[in-house]
Parts: sequence; C-alpha cells; structure tokens
Amino acid sequence: MDLRAGDSWGMLACLCTVLWHLPAVPALNRTGDPGPGPSIQKTYDLTRYLEHQLRSLAGTYLNYLGPPFNEPDFNPPRLGAETLPRATVDLEVWRSLNDRLRLTQNYEAYSHLLCYLRGLNRQAATAELRRSLAHFCTSLQGLLGSIAGVMAALGYPLPQPLPGTEPTWTPGPAHSDFLQKMDDFWLLKELQTWLWRSAKDFNRLKKKMQPPAAAVTLHLEAHGF
Amino acid sequence: MAVPVPWACCAVLAAAAAVVYAQRHSPHETPHVQYERLGSDVTLPCGTANWDAAVTWRVNGTDLAPDLLNGSQLVLRGLELGHSGLYACFHRDSWHLRHQVLLNVGLPPREPVLSCRSNTYPKGFYCSWHLPTPTYIPNTFNVTVLHGSKIMVCEKDPALKNRCHIRYMHLFSTVKYKVSISVSNALGHNATAITFDEFTIVKPDPPENVVARPVPSNPRRLEVTWQTPSTWPDPESFPLKFFLRYRPLILDQWQHVELSDGTAHTITDAYAGKEYIIQVAAKDNEIGTWSDWSVAAHATPWTEEPRHLTTEAQAPETTASTTSSLAPPPTTKICDPGELGSGGGPSAPFFISVLVTLALAAAAAAAAASSLLI
Repeated sequence: MDLRAGDSWGMLACLCTVLWHLPAVPALNRTGDPGPGPSIQKTYDLTRYLEHQLRSLAGTYLNYLGPPFNEPDFNPPRLGAETLPRATVDLEVWRSLNDRLRLTQNYEAYSHLLCYLRGLNRQAATAELRRSLAHFCTSLQGLLGSIAGVMAALGYPLPQPLPGTEPTWTPGPAHSDFLQKMDDFWLLKELQTWLWRSAKDFNRLKKKMQPPAAAVTLHLEAHGF
Repeated sequence: MAVPVPWACCAVLAAAAAVVYAQRHSPHETPHVQYERLGSDVTLPCGTANWDAAVTWRVNGTDLAPDLLNGSQLVLRGLELGHSGLYACFHRDSWHLRHQVLLNVGLPPREPVLSCRSNTYPKGFYCSWHLPTPTYIPNTFNVTVLHGSKIMVCEKDPALKNRCHIRYMHLFSTVKYKVSISVSNALGHNATAITFDEFTIVKPDPPENVVARPVPSNPRRLEVTWQTPSTWPDPESFPLKFFLRYRPLILDQWQHVELSDGTAHTITDAYAGKEYIIQVAAKDNEIGTWSDWSVAAHATPWTEEPRHLTTEAQAPETTASTTSSLAPPPTTKICDPGELGSGGGPSAPFFISVLVTLALAAAAAAAAASSLLI
C-alpha cells in the first residue's frame, strides 16, 4: 500500500509553518527554554521537508539532463565527483559518533553541497529550473542555520572552513558535457542520501536529548541569521 | 601323475573366461540417467546391442509393447511427465539385463523471479527467488551480489533453500546494489538481475502480538497494544511508525489512524456492542515501504450487564443506586451518545433519540472514514 501522498502532504502543511517561524529559532529562551530538544526536532522536520522537495526537483533536473540520467536503473560507477561529501559510513562508526562530530559532519556536508548546488544553478538552462534550484538553495540555507542553532545550543563551535579548502565552483578543464552531467547526477544523489542520513542523525540526537538535563537550562543566543 | 595338472589348469582357465564374459556382458551397476524435454521424441538404444538384436523393454518392471521398438531401440514420442521412470532392456531369450536408463522428463528453466528486501535494517537484507513454472527436474541456482564493483557474500538461509542473506557493510550508500541470479538444469539455463538503492528495499515485518481489549465502563472504546517486530534490530536508532486500521465486522469500510510513535492506541469511536477487527502495519520513519498488515485482533467494546426488570420494581434504596448509575462516569465525554441509555429500561422517546444520535454518529464516522482513506 502506498501512503506516501497523505503522509507527506500533512507533514508539508505542518512544516511550512515551521519554516515560516524559522528566524525565531534562536530566540527560544523567551519561552523558558526547554533545551536544544525543540530545535533538534525542527532540524529533523526540515530534513524531511527538504527530502520531499528534492524528490520533485531531482526528477525535473534529471529529465533536463536526459537519458541515461533519468532512467531508474541507471547505475554508473562512482567516478569523478571526488570532492563531494559522502554520506556513506561504516555502521559501527556511525553509531558511535559523538554528538559534536555528528553535527559537524552534517554541517560541513551541507555547506559544501549548498555551494555546489549554487554552481549548478548558475549553469541551469531554463528559468523554471533556476527558480526551483534557488528555492531549494534557500531551504538548504535554512537547514544549515538550524544545524548551527543546535550546535550553538549545545556549546559546540561551528566548523570554520580552512583557507584554501573552501569549494569553489570552477568549470573543470576540458570537462566534457557528459562528465559535467555525471557530476550533476552525483551531486543530486549525494544530496538525497545526506538528507536521509540527517533524518537518522537528528532522530538519534533527539533520542539522546530526551530525558532533559535536569537543572541545566541552556540559553540560546541569536547567532545573526 | 601328469594327468590332474592339465585338468586343473583347464578349470582355472574356464573360470577366468566365465568371469571375463560376465564382466563384458553385465549392465552397469547404476542406470544411465537421462534428461529429456517435455513434448519431445527420444530414442533409447539398448546399450551396446546391435540394432537387430532381439530385446524386450520394460519400464518400472512393466513390459512395453513391441510396436514401440525400432529394432532393439525404444522410441518414445511426445514425452509426457508420466514417461519418467526406469527403463530396462533384456535379451529376449535369456532375459539377461543388458541396459538400464533412468529417464527424467522435464523443461528448461524460465526466467527466475528475484526479489530482495530489508526487514532488518540496518543489519542487512535478504533475497529470495523462485521459478514461475516448474521444471520437474533438479535445478541449481547461483546468486551474486555486487555493490558497485565490490562482490558481496550472500549467505544461504539455513532453513529456506531459495533465500540468502547479505550483511550491510556501509550505510547511507549512493551506490546501487545489483543482485544477479542464474538457474540451470540438464535441459537449459536462464538468468535475471535487479538493481536497487539501499533505502528502497526497506520493509519491516508486521507488528507482533496485536491485542485489542475493551475498556471497562467505556462502551465506545477499545484499547489496542502491539510490539515492534522482533526482526527489527534497532528500534531506538531506527524508529518505526505505525498505521492502525479497524472496522466493525459488519461493515466493509476501514478507519485509519497513523501513529508516529508508541505501541498503543485507544479507539474512541467504536460502535457500542459491535465486534471489531483491528490490524497494524509498520514502516521506518523515513525510508522504505509499509509492512504487510499484522495478524488481526478481534474485540468488542465493553457493554453494561443487562439488568433484570425485577430489580427496578424493588424498594427505593435500589432506585437510588439505579439513578447514580445513569450519571456518566467522570472519565468519559459528557456528550458521548453511547454513554447514555445504560442501566434501567429506557423510555421510548429517549430510545428514539439515542437511535437518531447513533445514526448521525455513523454518518459522520463514514464521512470521516472516506476522507481519511487514501
């Protein structure tokens, strides 16, 4: 039985309201601060919203790239796209990640992915695609902000990009049209997988935070959105 | 003195010759096994006998008519499954067994049906296969699993011979898995393959131990509890969400409730006194598909014990107790129509109003159910 439609639409309606209130996330101390729990929940909800949004965006974009990229059985070897942050991880390593590392990996991944996605946007041919990509980039920016909020609430420093390692979008030398499309394909694939992984990551964090740290109240500070 | 020696020598020689003769002319210990295709024609020669040798053929001990013979060879046309058996040819006069053939009639394999599923995410997944039509003869299957370019081991299931298990090495992989299977038997060969992403094959087993109980003093409630499937290895890190469906046995329309956590739910809109059937399904919170429906639980909401008429005709002190039982218990909703009408013989207009309320409630429930159904 396929319950996807009812499942997602209900969630979308709820999450659109969440996104609307996103800039208010850091100001939770107003309500007598229940800890980082609610912002973890919001981050989790955002990953679900983005994953849903990506499904339609990726479908449109892959059709734009044309075959074989839009074929369901397309199973190319992972060549090139080396600089893309990979979601894949050994099961035990993933399980035993400490909170700080878990959050940092998510933050760094989405920073990189957002940058690549903006590059994609610059090259997209149709106005409609650019619009969809721009909308997605905004949402992804929101997710980054949300993760930053959680890290701040827990007292972890935001990872600073080292000079020289910041990914810049430069068209590769003599990058053939096909190889370029392959890179786009892997970017979307990796983005989708990261969103699935993040849902699991934030779910894990949510579970860990559940018995709220009794006498400690954390004050969230607005970190200039 | 010299005479016995040549006689002994001849005896030995004769014995040796007899042994040699016997070895050359006796059939193999085990019959020759032969596979032939259903519907085809086959000619069975009688071992090394000449074409014009006089032989009789038997199948499973029963004589075969001589019109099937072409010389000393047995000709079978349009093979059917019933032709399978042990064929033996005998020297007609001496009934000496010359040759045996174990004939197996069958078919080459059609393309196998292969499917894979992960009901133990993130531990691993299993693949199972079968042939769409039988071949009637033994088949061997060979399964290979590729993750990108890496070959993974598929361990045979200890109990089921058409299933094998793969352990995930890495999670959150962007590279697809490709599972190929080849099947072959004596008459032919076939193969198929499927490719999929890690997330798409996730489908938990149905929830276990679904129990539905009436709630005392609540004629419209049923309390349902269940457990996460025991095969799901880590419900803490990979939580499941649940989907509950229920209906009274007398109706066909299901009511649905989706629950994001917890393994219990109280139905509050059950029809009083009607037996319900309830089922639950499970799904990982984010990935994969819903499980099959669980084994059904049956329950009927609590109903008050009917009071005998003689009780009401008694002294005033019992009237007082009857009145107090009419007041709805504090835990139930005040305007719940099902709560009314319990205890005492209801008067006619009251009974009609209850009927009307129930009819309206039923109509509302049907409308709600149809909007909930996907």
